[in-house]
Amino acid sequence: MHREGRIKLLFILPAVAWVLCFTVFPLVYGVRLSLYNVKVGAADEFVGLANYRHFLEDARAWASLAVTLVFVGCGVAAQLVLGLALAVLFTRAMPLRGVMRTLLTAPLFATPIAVGFLFVTVFYEEGGLVNGLLGLKVPWLSHPTWAVVSVIIVDVWQWTPFCFLIFLAALGGIPEDCYEAARLETKSGWALFRHVTLPMLQPTVVLVLLLRITEAFKVFDIPFTLTTGGPGTATQVLTMYAYRTGMRFFNFGYASAISVVVFLMVTGIILVLFRRIRQVYQ
Amino acid sequence: MALERRCTRWVWFAVALAVTALVALPFYWAISLSVRNPRDTFTVTGLGVPFVQYRPTLDNWRTELGTWETQRALANSLIIAVATAAVVVVLGAPAAYAVARFRFRRPSNEDITLWFLSQRVLPPVATAIPLFLIVRWLGLLDTRTGLVLLNVTFNLPLVVVILRQAFIDLPVELEEAALVDGAGHWGIFLRISLPLVAPSLAAAVLIVVAFTWNEFLFALMVGSLNAKVIPVHIAGAGDTRGVQFWFVAVRALIAITPPVILALLAQRYIVRGLTFGALKG
Repeated sequence: MHREGRIKLLFILPAVAWVLCFTVFPLVYGVRLSLYNVKVGAADEFVGLANYRHFLEDARAWASLAVTLVFVGCGVAAQLVLGLALAVLFTRAMPLRGVMRTLLTAPLFATPIAVGFLFVTVFYEEGGLVNGLLGLKVPWLSHPTWAVVSVIIVDVWQWTPFCFLIFLAALGGIPEDCYEAARLETKSGWALFRHVTLPMLQPTVVLVLLLRITEAFKVFDIPFTLTTGGPGTATQVLTMYAYRTGMRFFNFGYASAISVVVFLMVTGIILVLFRRIRQVYQ
Repeated sequence: MALERRCTRWVWFAVALAVTALVALPFYWAISLSVRNPRDTFTVTGLGVPFVQYRPTLDNWRTELGTWETQRALANSLIIAVATAAVVVVLGAPAAYAVARFRFRRPSNEDITLWFLSQRVLPPVATAIPLFLIVRWLGLLDTRTGLVLLNVTFNLPLVVVILRQAFIDLPVELEEAALVDGAGHWGIFLRISLPLVAPSLAAAVLIVVAFTWNEFLFALMVGSLNAKVIPVHIAGAGDTRGVQFWFVAVRALIAITPPVILALLAQRYIVRGLTFGALKG
């Protein structure tokens, strides 16, 4: 650490000011909007918690919340398990490992909106890739349940590589001594995994959970193109509901209330995982 | 025993190969669709192997890349991504250096880091409506400047947290020696520390460019016409053209290819980038 005077403030203030202007202020402004009835061309009218009361009575909002929770829960769980399994598999020495690792990384940065569109052709009922290859007639995109499954599959395809890469890095960081000591006790690979690998990976699992859950709550692009929230409103996640309420129907007040609800849920999850994360950054 | 071990080794190799093929399949499928003559779209079945099942053509690519809307969207995406990365580095690198090297009391260095981190974790929809109104108030709707402003906001915390870790990993002795020689903090930062974190900086820039290129929600809200970027350009396709597979595939590949290549270039640093410096890849 350097000894320094005021100069450190010059280094950090521009970034802090930017975040205050364009993140913290909008957040406060959003909370304020959620307490008003905002009309185009008229003064905002204070309505207290009416927008939130509306949320509680709004069947569509509850349906959106349910879809979002199913999507986040199933999607993140699948990514975590598959990513970990893949990472363990890739700790083995095998031919083409580097090439396969590179290919497995590719979906991660693929433009989500384009991925959504692409998977329309993959899941297309007549002549699509999946039904065509497997000789199935599954209504991937036109049946409410299957549509949710499809959205989850695409999310798993895109984000399992993320869990895979992080777990692979974390596995590489476990000292070999731990395994050597444990091998004196047991020869079973599963027991080693259960009693050495998993406990050592625990901080990483918490980190991945935090990053994935918060990211999954933001999902918008995939349902937007893959299913346009449908059929009906079967895949209309909360972000999409908020977007439509605000940008299609210009009900900024209620849209802000929905957004605040999403924000509070994500914050709640962060707070639960927060103490663990703090240790990682110290 | 040895034979058995060799067998399991090949079984696991086969599993890895199968998973990789499954993950890569959609990319292959997109390429296969994009070089098909439209009339072959549904007549060719199964995997659609080019040359074997049909004669590939680059016509779809030529048509799509030849339209000025696509060219403008590509240009907009590129300009916005590069400008965002530049602004983010100018604002973020000094802040990251400050958190890594100077001691803050109240709030402490860890608190500042976590504060930046929490901005990244925040769901964008929470600030979407207010930010839309702010951009409108600034008169920046449908401008590239407006989109740069928004993307800087989303990526700044990411860069601060990535670079902070990079600065912490540098040996502090070099900087202390320079300080004794009478160099100022800015001089040390610009001439010694920043060049030394160049690899992390490059990775951060690649990630920011890729994220900005992929950003859709705000691009849709703010840039509908003149500032239309690639993702918005693509999203407009479904309404007017329906599901024309070859067309969807070409457009999807135009969008997907640049960020995927960037990601592969930054591969070594991606883990660190995506975990905000918490893990080294």
